[in-house]
Amino acid sequence: MMRMGGVDDDDKLDAEQAKQVLRRAMRMAAPFKATIAAALGFVALSTLGLLMGPVIVRYGIDSGIDAGDRTVLRNAVFAYVGVVALAYFAARQQYIFVNRAGEGFLRAIRIRVFDHIQKQSLAFFDRYQSGVLISRMTADIESMAELVQWGLLQFIAAVFLIIIALVLMLGLSWQLTIAALLVMPVIIIASRKFQRDSNAAYLEVRERVGQNLAELQEGISGVRVIQAYAQEGEQTRQFVESNRSLYRSHVHSIRVSTWYFGLVEAMGIFASAIAIGIGGWLVERGDVSIGTVVAFILLLALLFEPVQQLSQLYNTVQSSAASLDKLFTILDTRPDVEGGHRELDRHGELVVENVGFRYTNTDASVLRDLTITVADGERLALVGPTGAGKSTVAKLMARLYDPTVGSIAFGGVDLRDATLDSLRHRIVVVPQEGFLFGGSIADNVRIARPDASDAELRDALDAIGALERFDSFEEGIDTEVRERGSRLSAGERQLVSLARAALVDPAVLVLDEATSSLDPGTEAIVEAALDRLMTGRTTIVVAHRLSTIRNADRIAVIDGGELVELGTHDELVGLGGRYGALASAWEASLPTL
Amino acid sequence: MADPAADDQQSTSSSRADGDVAKSSQWSLLSQTLRAQRRNLAIGTLVGLAWTVGKVATPILIRFGIDRGIRDGDRLWLWAGLIAAAGLVAGFFTSFRRFYAFREARWTETRLRERLFGHIMSLHIGYHDRAQTGQLMSRSSSDLNQIQSFVVMIPITLSNLTMITAVTVILLVTDWVLALLALASLPFIQIAGSRFSKAIHPAVLAVQAEQAELATVVEESVGGVRVIKGFGAERVQAQKLRTEADDIRRESVNAARIRAKFLPAIELLPQVGLIAVLWFGGQRVIDGDLTLGALVQFNVYVALLVGPLRMIGMTIAFAQRAAAALGRVNEVLDIAAQVEDPDEPVDLPTSATGGPDGLGTVSFSDVVFAYAGATGAPAGPADAGPVLDGFNFELAAGESVAVVGATGSGKSTVARLLVRFYDVEAGSISIDGVDVRHLSLHDLRRAVGIVFEDTLLFHDTVRANIAFAQPDADAGVIERAARLAGAHDFVMGLPEGYDTMLGERGFSLSGGQRQRIAIARAILADPRVLVLDDATSAVDPSKEHEIRSAMSTVMDGRTTIVIAHRPGTIALADTVVLLDGGRVVARGPHEELLANEPRYRDVLAAMEATSDDPDAATPSLAGGDRA
Repeated sequence: MMRMGGVDDDDKLDAEQAKQVLRRAMRMAAPFKATIAAALGFVALSTLGLLMGPVIVRYGIDSGIDAGDRTVLRNAVFAYVGVVALAYFAARQQYIFVNRAGEGFLRAIRIRVFDHIQKQSLAFFDRYQSGVLISRMTADIESMAELVQWGLLQFIAAVFLIIIALVLMLGLSWQLTIAALLVMPVIIIASRKFQRDSNAAYLEVRERVGQNLAELQEGISGVRVIQAYAQEGEQTRQFVESNRSLYRSHVHSIRVSTWYFGLVEAMGIFASAIAIGIGGWLVERGDVSIGTVVAFILLLALLFEPVQQLSQLYNTVQSSAASLDKLFTILDTRPDVEGGHRELDRHGELVVENVGFRYTNTDASVLRDLTITVADGERLALVGPTGAGKSTVAKLMARLYDPTVGSIAFGGVDLRDATLDSLRHRIVVVPQEGFLFGGSIADNVRIARPDASDAELRDALDAIGALERFDSFEEGIDTEVRERGSRLSAGERQLVSLARAALVDPAVLVLDEATSSLDPGTEAIVEAALDRLMTGRTTIVVAHRLSTIRNADRIAVIDGGELVELGTHDELVGLGGRYGALASAWEASLPTL
Repeated sequence: MADPAADDQQSTSSSRADGDVAKSSQWSLLSQTLRAQRRNLAIGTLVGLAWTVGKVATPILIRFGIDRGIRDGDRLWLWAGLIAAAGLVAGFFTSFRRFYAFREARWTETRLRERLFGHIMSLHIGYHDRAQTGQLMSRSSSDLNQIQSFVVMIPITLSNLTMITAVTVILLVTDWVLALLALASLPFIQIAGSRFSKAIHPAVLAVQAEQAELATVVEESVGGVRVIKGFGAERVQAQKLRTEADDIRRESVNAARIRAKFLPAIELLPQVGLIAVLWFGGQRVIDGDLTLGALVQFNVYVALLVGPLRMIGMTIAFAQRAAAALGRVNEVLDIAAQVEDPDEPVDLPTSATGGPDGLGTVSFSDVVFAYAGATGAPAGPADAGPVLDGFNFELAAGESVAVVGATGSGKSTVARLLVRFYDVEAGSISIDGVDVRHLSLHDLRRAVGIVFEDTLLFHDTVRANIAFAQPDADAGVIERAARLAGAHDFVMGLPEGYDTMLGERGFSLSGGQRQRIAIARAILADPRVLVLDDATSAVDPSKEHEIRSAMSTVMDGRTTIVIAHRPGTIALADTVVLLDGGRVVARGPHEELLANEPRYRDVLAAMEATSDDPDAATPSLAGGDRA
C-alpha cells in the first residue's frame, strides 16, 4: 500500500541542480498560474476545514458542555456542520483544479519536448539511442504524471495541514505544543532513515525482479531446447534459485522497513499520552482548559499522516525532478539544421563544393574535400566499399546533415539558406526500407504532403504503377497497415515509400538502394516503379547492384571519404582504376551473366 | 496507509477486466497453497490480535486519563504511562503483523511461481506452439503479484475485523444510542470505497491506453525519423502527438473527476460521526449520563475505525482481482502434459546388449501425423491435413541421411517426432528397436541430439551453454566438444574465453559462431542419433563451409539426420530421402536422384532460388553502408 518510486543514486540531483530544475519548472508552469492559484486556495480551504473540527470541539466542550450551555453546544455543532460542508466542497474542487493544472503542464511538456526532438537533425538521432528518446517521452513524463495526479496534491495538502495545525496548536497552548511535538523529531529522523533504507531495498528488489523475469522468459522461449536436452529439472532448479533470491530480497525489504510502521504507531499513541499527562498537569495549573487537551488529542491524530506522507513523497518528488532534468537536457539541445528563408527553384544543378564532414561525436572525418556537380536530370551512382562514406554523401545532398566544411547548393542556392519546406519538396530521400506509420496505406503516402487531395494521392500511386496492386486489397488504399506483418510485404512497403516520393514530385531523388533482395515477382514491380519515378529527375543513388550502376549516367567512386574516380562506366573501366577492378571482380562472380 | 488513492494506483498493475475465467477450482488452488503456510499465517493473525488489544485499549485509557487523571486529579501520570505502554504494544505488534503478512504473501507468490515454471517446462511442445510467451510471462509475474497483494490482506483483515467488532461492542455497551449515531456513517465509507475502486479502475486503464497510443506515435516518429526528415513531415507527426496528448489529458481529467466525486466524501464521512458524538454526546454529558472522557473515547474510536473500514473495501477489490488472476494461473496448471514418461520405461540397449548392427538404428514405420489445429503448425500448411502420412524410413547405425523436400513437406516434423515433441497419430518410431514411447523422456532425449534451426543460446557462459546437456561436464570434455564443432578457436578469442557471457544481454556472436556453439552443445551430449535441422540457414554464405566442415566432423560414424534446406548441406550425408505428400518418394545418393528423379530436381531448383541470392555473392561493393 506504500508507494515507492525508487531513485538510483545516479539519478539524484544535488541541491543546486534541484533548485534550478524547480525554478525552470515553475517558469514553464506560468501559463497555468490562475489554475494553480485556485488549486492552492481550495487545498488551503479544505485543510482548514478539516482542522477546524478539533477547535470547534474544544469550544463545544469548554463553553458548552462544561458550562452546561446547550445553546453554545448547538451553535458549535452547527459551526462544525458548516465547516465540514465547506471542506467537502473545497476538497472536490481541489482534485479538479490540481489535476487540471498538472495535466495541462504535462500536455505542454509532452508537446514541447516532442516538437523539440522533431526539430533536431539526424545527427541528434544518431547520438541518442531511440530507446532513450522514447523513454524520455513516455516513462520520464509518466513518472511526473504520478506526481501530478496524486503526489502533488498530497504534498501540498500535507504542507498546508502541518502549517495550519501548528498555528492552531500554538494558538491554543504553546507549552502543550512544544511538549506534544517532542515526538516529531523521532518521526522525522525515522522517516528519513526509512525512506533511505527502503529505497535501497526497493532498488535491489527491482533488480532481482528483472533477473527473475529474464530467467522466466529464457525458460519459456527456450523450452524446445530445454526439453530436447532433457534439462527441465536443471532449468527449474536454476529458476528456483533465482526465485528464492528474489524472495529473500523481498523479505529483506520488508525487514528493513517494517519497524518504521510500528514506531509511527507507537509515537502516535505516545503523543496522546503526552497530551493527557502534560495537558492534565497544565489543566491542574490552570494554564489550559480540558477542551484544549481534547483538541490536542484530535489534532495530533490528524498531524501524523501528513508527516509520514511528506517523507515518503520525497522519493517521488526526487524521481520526478530527475526526469524533468533529463527532459530539460533535451530541450537545451539546439537544433543544428534550421531552415533559411530562400525558396528553391523548380530545377537546377546540384553542386557539392569542397565538402568535408565528420559526425559530432567523433574525431575521424567521414568525408574530405568532395566536389561533384550533378546536372539537372542526371543520374549519378555512388559506389564504394562499406563505410567509405557514400551514404553520407547522399544524406548531405538532402541536408539531413550539414557539411562540416564546404557547401552544397541547388540551383545556386546554398541548402542552408533554403526554407526547410522547399528543400523537402525539391530534394527527397527514399530510404532503403519502407518504413510504415500507423494508419492506412493512403495515410502513409500522404505523410509526404498532408495537403494532397485524394486524386493526387491516387495519381502518385498510379505514377509508379502501384495503384492497381493496392486497389486489389479489400479496403483498397484505406487498408490499415497496423497488422503490417501480415498485410504488406517488404516489396509493398517499398512501393508505399516510392509513392511518397511521387506525391511530392521532387526535382532530385536520393535513393539508398536496398541491399536485401525481395522475392522475384515483387522485385520486378519495385524496379519498374523506381524506373518510372526516376524518369525526368536528377537522381543520386547509393548503388549496390551492377545493373543500377550501369544505368547511371555517371559513377562516383568514393573510398576512404574521398572521391577517387568520377565518370561513365566505360570511361572508368577504360581508366583501369579502382572501379575497373571492382567491375571485373563483380562480373566474374556472377555466373548467370 | 489505507488510502483509497493507493488502491487505484495498485489497480494499474491489472491490465485485464476481471473475467469469468475464474472457476471454482481457483480457490482450491489458493487454499491448497495457503494450507502449507497455515502455521505462519496463524502466527500473523495472532500477532494481529495482540495489536488489536493495544489499539482498542488506548481510547479506554484516554477516557480514564481524562475522567480520573485530569478531572479527579487521581494518578494522572499512571494513566499517561499506561497509554504510552499501550502505544508500545500496538507499535510492536503492528510491525510484526506487517512483517508476517508480507513475508507469507511473498512466499505464496514464490512457491506458486516455481510450481508454474516447473509445470510450463514439462508441458508438451504442442502446447507451447499455441501459447504466447507474453501470456505465460504475465501469468507468472503480474497475475501472481495480484494474488500476493490479496494474501497480504488476509491476516491484516482478520485482525482488523476483530478490532471493528471489539470497538463496536465496547461502544454499544457504553451507550448504545450514541454508538449507533457515531457509527452510522462508517459503513458508507466502505461502500463509497468499493464503488470508487470499481469506477476508477476503468478510468486508470483508459489513461494507460492513451499513454500507450502516445508511445506508439513517439516510437514511429523516432523509428521513422529518416522518412519524416526526408519529406519534412514533422507537422503530421506533431499533429498526431497533440491529438494523443489531448486524449491523455481528457482521460486523466476524467479520472480526476471520479476521484473528486468519491475521495472527499470518503475523507469527510467520519466527521459526520464526530459531529453526532459532539451533539448527542454533549447533551448526555450535560445531563450527567456520560463522562467527558467517554465522549472523547467515542471520538477517538470513530477515528480509529476509519482505516480498517477503508481497508475492507480494498480487500474486497483485491480479492476480486486475485480471483481472476488465480483463474488464469489455474488454467495453465490445469493443462496436463500430453507427452509423458511411460509407466514402466524400457532401457535402451547398450553396447553390451546391442545387436549386430551396432547402436543408433532409427526406424519410422507407417507414421501418420498432423498438427493439432491450424495455428499449431509451426511450419506446415495452414490447412490441417496430415503432415506425414504413411512415412516409412530406416536408418542403419552410423548412417547419415539428408531429408529433402519442399517447404511444408514435413522435413522438420521428422526430427520433432523423433524426440517426442509430438506423438505420432499412427505407426511407430523406434531407436535401436525400442519404441520411443516406451523410453523415459530423459533417456530418449539424451539419446538424440538436435541442432535447431534457430540456435537459441542461453544467457550464461560459453562453457555452460556447451555443457547444457550435462552441467557438471569437466573442462576437458567441453573443450573437446568445442574443438570438434570448430568453435574452440573463436571462443579463445572472446574477451573471457569460455567464461564469456552469451545471450541477449551478453556478448553477441555471429550466426555462424552461434551455430557452432549449438553444434558443440549437441556433441557434448554424445547422442546416438544426431539431428541437424537447417543448421546453416542463419549463416553468412561465405561462412557456410566452416559450418559444413564442423558438421561433417561430428557426423563421422554417428547416425545423423540432416534436415536440408540448402543444396550445400545435402552433400554431407551418405544418402538422400525425398519427402513429398507426407511420405518418402525416393531414396538414394544425391547424383542418382539428380539423374533419375525430376521431383528432386524441382525441389533443388526451388531451394537454389530462395537460398542463393546471386547478389549476395558480390564482393566488397555490396553490403549495407550505414555510415
